[in-house]
Amino acid sequence: MTITAEAAAPVAPAPDGAGTPAPGRAALIALLAPIRPRLIAAAAFQLVYAISALVPFVCVAELARVLLSPGAGGPGRPWPIAALAVAGLLIRFLSFGAAGAITHFADADLQLHLRRRMAAHLSRVPLGWFGERNSGHVKKVLQDDVREMHHLIAHAALDLLAAVVTPLAALVYLLYVDWRLTLVVLIPVPLFAAAFAIMMRGYDEQMRRWSEANSRISSAVVEFVQGIAVIKTFGQTRRSYRRFAEAADDFADFFGAWVRPMLRLSGLSMAFISPPAMLLVSAASGALFAANGWIEPVDVLPFVLVGVALTAPFLVLDMGSMRLRSAAESAGRVAALLDTPPLPEPETPVRPVGHAVDFRDVSFSYDGTTPVLREVSLSLEPGTVTALVGPSGSGKSTLAKLLPRFYDPESGQVVVGGADVRAIGSAELYHHVGFVLQDVHLLRTSVADNIALGHPDAGREEIERMARAAQIHDRIVELPRGYDSVIGEDAHLSGGEAQRVAIARALLADAPILVLDEATAFADPESESAIQDALSTLVAGRTLLVIAHRLSTITGADQIAVLDGGRITERGTHDELLAADGLYARMWAAHVRDDERDWTAR
Amino acid sequence: MIGELGAVLGPEHGARLRRSLLAMAVYGVLQGLSFAMLVPVLRALLSGESVGPWLAAFAAVVVATAVASYVQAQYGYAVGLAALRTLYHRLGDHVAGLPVGWFSADRVGRLGQLVGKGVMDVMSVPAHLLQVVVSAVAAPATVLVCMFVFDWRLGLAALLTAPFLWLAFRWTQSLVQRSDTAMDDAGAEGADRVVEFARQQPSLRAFGRTADGYDLLDDALVRQRSTLRRLLRTTLPGLGTVALTVQLAFTAILIAGCSLALGGAVDVPELVGVLVLAVRFTEPLLAAADVGGELRMARGSLRRIKAVLDTPPLPATGTARAGEPSIELDGVGFAYAERPVLRDVSLTVAPRTVTALVGPSGSGKTTLTRLIARFWDAGSGVVRVSGNDVRDYAPEELMAQLSIVFQDVYLFEGTLEDNIRIGRPEATDEEVREAGRLARVDEIAERLPGGWQARVGEAGATLSGGERQRVSIARAMLKDAPIVLLDEATAALDPENESALIDALATLARDRTLLVIAHRLTTIAAADQIVMLEGGAVVERGTHQELLDLDGRYAAFWTERTRARGWRLTQPA
Repeated sequence: MTITAEAAAPVAPAPDGAGTPAPGRAALIALLAPIRPRLIAAAAFQLVYAISALVPFVCVAELARVLLSPGAGGPGRPWPIAALAVAGLLIRFLSFGAAGAITHFADADLQLHLRRRMAAHLSRVPLGWFGERNSGHVKKVLQDDVREMHHLIAHAALDLLAAVVTPLAALVYLLYVDWRLTLVVLIPVPLFAAAFAIMMRGYDEQMRRWSEANSRISSAVVEFVQGIAVIKTFGQTRRSYRRFAEAADDFADFFGAWVRPMLRLSGLSMAFISPPAMLLVSAASGALFAANGWIEPVDVLPFVLVGVALTAPFLVLDMGSMRLRSAAESAGRVAALLDTPPLPEPETPVRPVGHAVDFRDVSFSYDGTTPVLREVSLSLEPGTVTALVGPSGSGKSTLAKLLPRFYDPESGQVVVGGADVRAIGSAELYHHVGFVLQDVHLLRTSVADNIALGHPDAGREEIERMARAAQIHDRIVELPRGYDSVIGEDAHLSGGEAQRVAIARALLADAPILVLDEATAFADPESESAIQDALSTLVAGRTLLVIAHRLSTITGADQIAVLDGGRITERGTHDELLAADGLYARMWAAHVRDDERDWTAR
Repeated sequence: MIGELGAVLGPEHGARLRRSLLAMAVYGVLQGLSFAMLVPVLRALLSGESVGPWLAAFAAVVVATAVASYVQAQYGYAVGLAALRTLYHRLGDHVAGLPVGWFSADRVGRLGQLVGKGVMDVMSVPAHLLQVVVSAVAAPATVLVCMFVFDWRLGLAALLTAPFLWLAFRWTQSLVQRSDTAMDDAGAEGADRVVEFARQQPSLRAFGRTADGYDLLDDALVRQRSTLRRLLRTTLPGLGTVALTVQLAFTAILIAGCSLALGGAVDVPELVGVLVLAVRFTEPLLAAADVGGELRMARGSLRRIKAVLDTPPLPATGTARAGEPSIELDGVGFAYAERPVLRDVSLTVAPRTVTALVGPSGSGKTTLTRLIARFWDAGSGVVRVSGNDVRDYAPEELMAQLSIVFQDVYLFEGTLEDNIRIGRPEATDEEVREAGRLARVDEIAERLPGGWQARVGEAGATLSGGERQRVSIARAMLKDAPIVLLDEATAALDPENESALIDALATLARDRTLLVIAHRLTTIAAADQIVMLEGGAVVERGTHQELLDLDGRYAAFWTERTRARGWRLTQPA
């Protein structure tokens, strides 16, 4: 057993149960389907390679026979055999190259295929799925895991095939030459197997201890590295460093104690089947057989030449097994991602009529146990403003996110223009429902393309008109390449500027129903007025659902719904709710008071 | 590579590394010798001479090889373990001394990778990879020497292929290296686009761009494939050439041997032995080609570790003692990545007064506060805290003067209480709870299952932005430093959160020297001094009334902000 770097590198535990081999294998076979014909072709070449690999060895043995038999043949006899040896080399080389080239190119195609398939799939999973994972996870699966599968596709399968076929062919050949000597030459194999069995005793327990130690050091690394900047500001670097150093020492101690006995045993077991040992056994037993006259001396040659091939697979399998396992785990994660249930698309999409919105007895929970919304009903008249207010955790953001279908409700309905959102095709839905949320990220492409995201064919004039309305045109023309400046390259926009580009985008998309996070208006204190003017332009005339934090902003709303513990507890205009003297009135009083409070006063 | 390894490990491991290399070399030579022993054994066997003595010698060499293999593996692992331990310590030690400003999110991510996987990569070099490389050189060289001993003409035939082999190896290596760079670039572009794609799902969907319509991603993915295909087209022929050249040696010996044998110029039993030897000759070379990828990866990690170790730490030898809690900047300039961020900034914050920093985003407010906490050292000018240049303090002494409450609050994987205790680890439970109570964290503890022992996730996922900031205030409260650097929250808070936060801030501010990046109008107007920054320079300074009377930048800023505060999304119908 070789402890390779890959085996030793801290590996994050596979969260998707990819560690269990059986489903992993089935998933893997399914993933490989698109390149199966090519894999079969490669396997055929590999078969030729595995058998032709023996040809030069057999030729040398035959050559010796010819050269050693005095006078037999004549000067021409060795050449055909030598030519055959060289031809064997060439065939071996070509078939190996062909098999490798086929799998490598197939792997390149499969990588693209899998990435595209995953991207397409991710476009259909509930948006909430992304909220539960960070983008790093998506990147890991789409990029790293797909790349990790390379070893499996391009190497491991072929190596395995050759590792089985070549020794079998060698065995057949040697049995044909002399079966008795063959059996003697095989003696080291059971010795190796016994040593290996001892080594593998308690393997699961060993691996469990290993992965425990591994996760301990991993979290020590993460905590040290992630926290160090904070720690330093508290002047406790030494203490935190000491903790890390202790963890590192523990790990090194563990690793030393863990690997040493394995190393000893593996050194011993490998010694039995190493090429020098196999050569020695072949030569010695061959000499013994020849001395006793059981075989001709020249018949020892095949054993010396080919005998080594008998144990080669053990070495190959050992080297590759770790890489193979990590490739299989990666394949498991790819399969798990593709298995994520997508948001169901309607078979016969309904077209919404009008811009009214209705939440009907909507209940929802993120984890299936803690309800976040309980039987919420709320109607939004076309062209009116509805504000959602309530303490944090009351469910106002969640309710708003059901409208653009970030999630589907557990029970009840969200109805847009008379149609359940689940019955509207997603493209159609987004023609009707737009949103502007607090954290805006622009795409790393030109400013113009960012604005035209929903209307790729929009003309430059139209784009500029929207940018003007969103109070961002002047800033854009100041950029080095104006509207063609690329975000993050030569267009570095502040948070408030990015917000206004997003507003221009929403203006161009022109959805009649809009979900808005009111915090957007105050996200960047330096450009509040500009954002606010842009927002005022955007919301005019639309059916608006606002997630409100700063109550003064939404005093003019047509309807304010107060959420508390996932239920709507109050509803009305600002004045009505103040008069009702409930939760809203209390929140309003706190808001007015806090706005004037000076915490620095002494 | 060995030199770099030695440099990273430090001189104290030099002897151990050399000993391990020697053992590997001995093992390689013995490997070659054990192959070479076949020749006399076979010669004796085939010419009917006595085989016994040769077999005994052969057995001796094989046993010696096995012993050498065992010993070098033990030595190699010993060096590997030493490397593991040393690298953890050296990296940890060094990183602990780097300026806080060095730890950007990007760097922290890469550092985590490096301390985790990178160290393991490096460890695998002495433990595992180096032996393969050493054997690839030592074993064939030994075989070659032996061939000359057996028959100089056959030895020469084998030797003649060496330059070709060397050239082929070099050529392929340069091909692979160039392609690797191209692959890395294409991979990074693809990864960026994937991250963007995942992050922007809401917008992409809302604007009708599913995967099919999102060309930026698809282009990047297609480019990744074409780069990979190009890599294969250039490197596969290279690798093929190497494999062919390796077989050239065998072919050369075969042809030379046959010619010689037919001419009667060579002893046939010996020739047969040499031919058998020739098929073993190149095996270690192919093994070395196999580990090429791992070696390149390890070398990359080694270089990155070296680069971190080469980053100069902040000099920290000062012994100054703090005086009255004040802040003073005198002609301070600072550039980040060659871009000037602050120019000639001078300001004074008197003990127990409040200074509000205002100015547009990118004007240098955050950088200014970070220079005070010595995240970096100023490029020019002097930053003084409590009467002394920040560079004259030991880091712990400087930090004992300052509490920092910024918006990016890092919460540990641990309990609520643990997270407050970081402010002063030796504090009693009562003190921790008192600080928590003053910062209104008690209200959070009541709500969470587990109370003070509730676990708050790594990114503090269970707490909202305002709640996390309250935890950070509790830390500062517990730390009880006389100067507070604070970035006022801009994120919209719910009324009850806002009330709690203001209560917490008011308690923290009492009797302390305050420098606030201020956003709330009430805070700004009440400050003892307002400093307005623009483009990295102080443009105006004074009290609220003085600056309004001046009717300059600040007055315009104030008017604008006041108007924004009165904004209503819609007017009542």
